[in-house]
Amino acid sequence: MKDFSEKVDTMKRSKRIEALDRRAVNKDGFIDEWPEMGFVAMHSPYDPEPSIKIEDGVITELDGKKRDDFDFLDQFIADYAIRTDRAEASMAVSSLEIARKIVDIHVSRKEILEIVSGITPAKMAEVINCLNVVEMMMGMQKMRARKVPGNQAHITNLKDDPVQIAADAAEGALRGFSEEETTMGVARYAPFSAMALLIGSQVGRPGVLTQCSAEEATELELGIRGLTTYAETLSVYGTEKVFIDGDDTPYSKAFLNSAYASRGLKVRFTSGAGSEVLMGSSEMKSMLYLECRCLYVTKGAGSQGIQNGSVSCVGVAAGVPAGIREIIGENLVAALLGLECASSNDQSFSNSDMRRTARTMLQFMPGTDFIFSGYAAEPNYDNMFAGSNFDAEDFDDYNVMQRDMQVDGGLRPVTEEDVIRVRRTAGKAVQAVFKYLGLTEVTDEQVEAVTYAHGSKDTLKRDAAADLMSADDMMKRGITGVDVVKALAESGYTELAENILNMLKQRVIGDYMHTAAILDEHFQVMSGVNTPNDYMGPGTGYRVSGKRWEEIKAIPHRINVNEF
Amino acid sequence: MEVNEQLIRAITQAVVEQLHKNGAQPQTQAEMQQPSSTQELAGRTRMRPKHSYEGAARAVQGTDPKEIVIGVGAAFQTEINKTMGGIPLDEVLRNVKAGIEEEGMTSRVVKVLDTSDVCFMALQAAKLSGSGIGIGIQSKGTTVIHQKDLYPLSNLELFPQAPLMDLETYRKIGRNAARYVRGEKVTPIECTNDPMVRAKYQVKAALMHIVETEQLDPEKGMIEWEGR
Repeated sequence: MKDFSEKVDTMKRSKRIEALDRRAVNKDGFIDEWPEMGFVAMHSPYDPEPSIKIEDGVITELDGKKRDDFDFLDQFIADYAIRTDRAEASMAVSSLEIARKIVDIHVSRKEILEIVSGITPAKMAEVINCLNVVEMMMGMQKMRARKVPGNQAHITNLKDDPVQIAADAAEGALRGFSEEETTMGVARYAPFSAMALLIGSQVGRPGVLTQCSAEEATELELGIRGLTTYAETLSVYGTEKVFIDGDDTPYSKAFLNSAYASRGLKVRFTSGAGSEVLMGSSEMKSMLYLECRCLYVTKGAGSQGIQNGSVSCVGVAAGVPAGIREIIGENLVAALLGLECASSNDQSFSNSDMRRTARTMLQFMPGTDFIFSGYAAEPNYDNMFAGSNFDAEDFDDYNVMQRDMQVDGGLRPVTEEDVIRVRRTAGKAVQAVFKYLGLTEVTDEQVEAVTYAHGSKDTLKRDAAADLMSADDMMKRGITGVDVVKALAESGYTELAENILNMLKQRVIGDYMHTAAILDEHFQVMSGVNTPNDYMGPGTGYRVSGKRWEEIKAIPHRINVNEF
Repeated sequence: MEVNEQLIRAITQAVVEQLHKNGAQPQTQAEMQQPSSTQELAGRTRMRPKHSYEGAARAVQGTDPKEIVIGVGAAFQTEINKTMGGIPLDEVLRNVKAGIEEEGMTSRVVKVLDTSDVCFMALQAAKLSGSGIGIGIQSKGTTVIHQKDLYPLSNLELFPQAPLMDLETYRKIGRNAARYVRGEKVTPIECTNDPMVRAKYQVKAALMHIVETEQLDPEKGMIEWEGR
């Protein structure tokens, strides 16, 4: 950490430099590359050279390591994540050649997926190192699984108030988010949060998927009960030590993945640059190489997708040189492996508005399956993931950027009337369900405050101790998604009950477990399987046009020429 | 011809050699003498020397049902003496203990040398404690209240944003832990949230965690820390 404070005492200060020192960007944390501690983004001198040896269909050497020396990640990757029938042919293609194919509009996504299925993690890191950020964006534009990009919201608040969760979920769904994720300040609020999110989301727009990020066993239980429709926070790491510290292995994660899948829940894993550094066990490898290992484990475990792009460790990745390049790089690796990519942008990392916007453009412009894996659909002071890169106060900026560049970022402008309407309906519906199920009281005043609120500073206090006992009781009584449907139907919310029943039916149909699946408002699946990305240069792929373009154009605050 | 990094390096080297021959001072060399070199960390493999816990007493299982064990991080009060927010660790400990005592319970402090993960630290403290309630405190200030029969990554209360903590909060943590022992209906301490905390502190958090993790000594497990 360099600063020039020692000079301050003796040197007459430049007013220009003083002005620059006060800029927001200089409050951010920066650190030099330090490969021995893992503070290195794209390439560490300790990263292995790519290699593979296959004997009798078994990988006996991987990236310079013999099978006897494999750690459990190497073994898992060798056994499940690399196509041995492809490996020799793919490894024979130079990394530069593969990188060029990724950017070449005449080479199809399918052809690249085929080549990449036979390369090793170290080779993958080498390929990514051949690309600059514009080339990575071009790669992402072609390699993203789903034709139409999407977006995901965080729905949380400082009080863990379920009424506000429902209202923000309804508004978020109205604004265009295809998935919504909640979490808690106090973990034991999880049952209430999951239920409120499910109800609110279906008020705003039928078919929005929801999840509750909690301790794994709790999260699985909520999923099995039908109170959530997908799971995302199955974390994997790039070194054995960090895995073990989390009481896990690639095998246990694969098992957990199957546990969700067996109950018809959509699942993706989570990983990202910097986690191994933060946990003090990076084995001197680059963030990119370690993330490649994570993504191969994800692929090998049979997960359809990943949330990655440094995620909650972005402060570390963004602190080192080329860290933001590494982030789009690792997003691209996910897409190259055929995984759905929810590309982070979900965690604040910079005090500078300029820098945080620039970072997001790398995913926003090419489009990813989910540009944000958590856009704060509440003010950031209420974001219980410790702040997202964009929040509710950025909605109009974001809508204008979509309009400026004719880019589909997954959101749309809304009217104040609609916002108030869906927020009130969601609050009232939660009130009715809580009453029907005998949970803690939701007062009319609470619903009213939440309807017009921006954040939890505008809402009423709840009795947290009573809520926690009631949430605990809800779990003990075995309340499920079906009980929520019943409560809504018998309280007069027929259409909403129908929507939630439809979400429960998805887990029997199972189509939304396909890669990069989202549901439209008629509960029809749009995934990388039935609506694959077919970009092959100008004139192909997804283009913003027609109805969607009209929607994006209609921002509020346009000059009305008739009244001018 | 392919223009790659190696080629550029070769050309640069040739140019520098030529400059040398001409007696010119190449800019790269001047830059290398600046204190702003970004390479000076390369090769270093530790932050701090290893502390010896030779002869330390292994922590024993508590039996007093009023006892709450506080498990502190491996670098606590040795390599690290202040939290990320700048609060002296002696004060942190004093306030947590005072909170516990105010609610009629007793405390014991152990140092956890086999993990630096705050959830596992707190759970291990809970398992060691006579009451089954434990508190884990990392040296950077991150704190968890845990109960012996919960999942490791679950908890009773978690305070993940260390830079926002103040001494009053540490005191409340002690009080709430004691109230859990009494089996009361406990109102969790109100959450605080600074959405810019990651931007300001995450790199420092990583460095402090490295200092803590490199002091681990799994052979020693947990040792008695108070009155050492």
